[in-house]
Amino acid sequence: MFPELNNILNTSPDKCEQGQFILVSDSKTDGTFLIHHFISFYLKAGCRVCVLGLVQSFSHYSAVGQRLGLSLPQAREKGQLVFLEGLRGSLDVLLQDGPIPDTAQPLSFLRSPVPELRGLFEFVQSSLSSTEEEVAAWGPPVLIVDDLSVLLSLGVSSGAVLDFMHYCRVAVCSRMQGNVVTLVHNEEEELGDEDSELLLRSLTHQSSLTLQVQGLATGYCRDIHGQMELRWRGGSQGRPGRDQVKLFQYKVQDKGVSFFARGTSSAVL
Amino acid sequence: MLVEIIQGTEGGGLVVIKDSAECDGRSLLKGFVKAAVLRNEPVHVLGFEVSEDELRTGLDSGTASRLVFHDGYSDPLQWLGQGKLSVQDYSAQNMRNRISQSDDPKVVTLVIDSLSWLLLHTPPTAVCQSLQELSRGGLKVKRVVALLHSDLHEQGVVGSVCHMATALVTVTPVSGSVSAEAEPNGTVRTLLRRKTGRVSREEECYSVREDFSVQILRDLSTRKQPTPDSRGETKQDDPAANLTFNLRLSEGERLAKENLSLPFTFSEEKKSSLLQPRSGGGRILYEPDASDDFDQEDPDDDLDI
Repeated sequence: MFPELNNILNTSPDKCEQGQFILVSDSKTDGTFLIHHFISFYLKAGCRVCVLGLVQSFSHYSAVGQRLGLSLPQAREKGQLVFLEGLRGSLDVLLQDGPIPDTAQPLSFLRSPVPELRGLFEFVQSSLSSTEEEVAAWGPPVLIVDDLSVLLSLGVSSGAVLDFMHYCRVAVCSRMQGNVVTLVHNEEEELGDEDSELLLRSLTHQSSLTLQVQGLATGYCRDIHGQMELRWRGGSQGRPGRDQVKLFQYKVQDKGVSFFARGTSSAVL
Repeated sequence: MLVEIIQGTEGGGLVVIKDSAECDGRSLLKGFVKAAVLRNEPVHVLGFEVSEDELRTGLDSGTASRLVFHDGYSDPLQWLGQGKLSVQDYSAQNMRNRISQSDDPKVVTLVIDSLSWLLLHTPPTAVCQSLQELSRGGLKVKRVVALLHSDLHEQGVVGSVCHMATALVTVTPVSGSVSAEAEPNGTVRTLLRRKTGRVSREEECYSVREDFSVQILRDLSTRKQPTPDSRGETKQDDPAANLTFNLRLSEGERLAKENLSLPFTFSEEKKSSLLQPRSGGGRILYEPDASDDFDQEDPDDDLDI
């Protein structure tokens, strides 16, 4: 987790807000560092975390987690972390001739002609709903999806992805008072990609906090890797208000990310 | 005009609130709900996008009894088998039956949150037909107020739905802060189709207070209309005033300036002098010089033919 980002978001592992739907979108750059931040943040806050890792293997996340001072295999053994290995599971589904094994059941939509993400939702629900003792042991549940755009590439329609996110929001945010963090790629070059734009705009309407990561418009820079716009949506959680917008630039380092206001990079000052 | 629409004095059958990702219209929708409840009218909400708790946040407990929430949020596709309102149940007849189940004799304001959710799951034609049937009035439903996210659908679909509205309220974000006393939530453009056939438009800055009462901060519509001013020149500041040197012309100087013809202006005298042939004036006399005699076939002049 990045302490500077915690300051910006005004949160800390002791007092994380509940019932939030956080949307991370990136364009022209990779915003996965924010996903790693949220994974380590919520694990440090003691919440039960379910990660749908559809683009990278578990060893990748644990390697990054180790650099951030967290041991993901240990959290998995304790039962605090539930990780869906999308890459391995998809091979099991696609290369098997016989019936789909139980471990790969959530990804059964890969085989069906009209993909529906109901199985994936049932996996999320079963891994995050817990008995009374577990609720006492861990904090509120958190669902982290990395990422949703790959589902569009796998042939799932944007309507099905939106239905899945709706049900996750109902189950995790409303019923269990937990948080949902999801990553969507916004490829501006593919202007004809209506599905992706519909997904992004729809999720923006539903989110309480949007983090939009962009590469610099002027091109590659060694000291500034991009800029991030945070938008707290007015009207979220039922209260009236305007959107609050903050803009920062960032640089990804070996063991963290540093955030600074625009124009105040250490290379410039 | 927005206040009159919220109070119900204008804008009968169908009110559509159109918003976008930059500016949220749900707080304005709750303002409508609050105003209807304060008038002692029962309000039925078809909720698909937000939960009942979130919708009831900010509305005090007195309003709670008059607000009936039909839960289409928890299980709209029947994945959990909970038997609440599902998206397939949506039709004008079913909605009317649901509303009639409540014993209230008064006519009801029906709030739909949101139409975008319905449009993504049911064909637009079915949604438009059901809206038409519901807003036509009749026994139980006095008015339908619906929220529509304009950036989630094609222009044609948005246009069709908005065409049916008797009052269309478009919410856009306001750039910068306008006034010091209250931060506006946004700018609202209202379009009202009256029964007489006249269409009126207005643009206002609004803000929604904590108790969801809507306040108009500024009326922007008069600023937008251009007023043709024929005497605008005399009202403009004279740039030649207040200078240390004299830029004005006296009467004689002005006359001399107007009488002067510029060197390259194509006046009548020049035109006639060019058109009439002058004797001996325009002929060209050419006497070839010895060195001018250039033979193409013999450039060095050394052939002896």
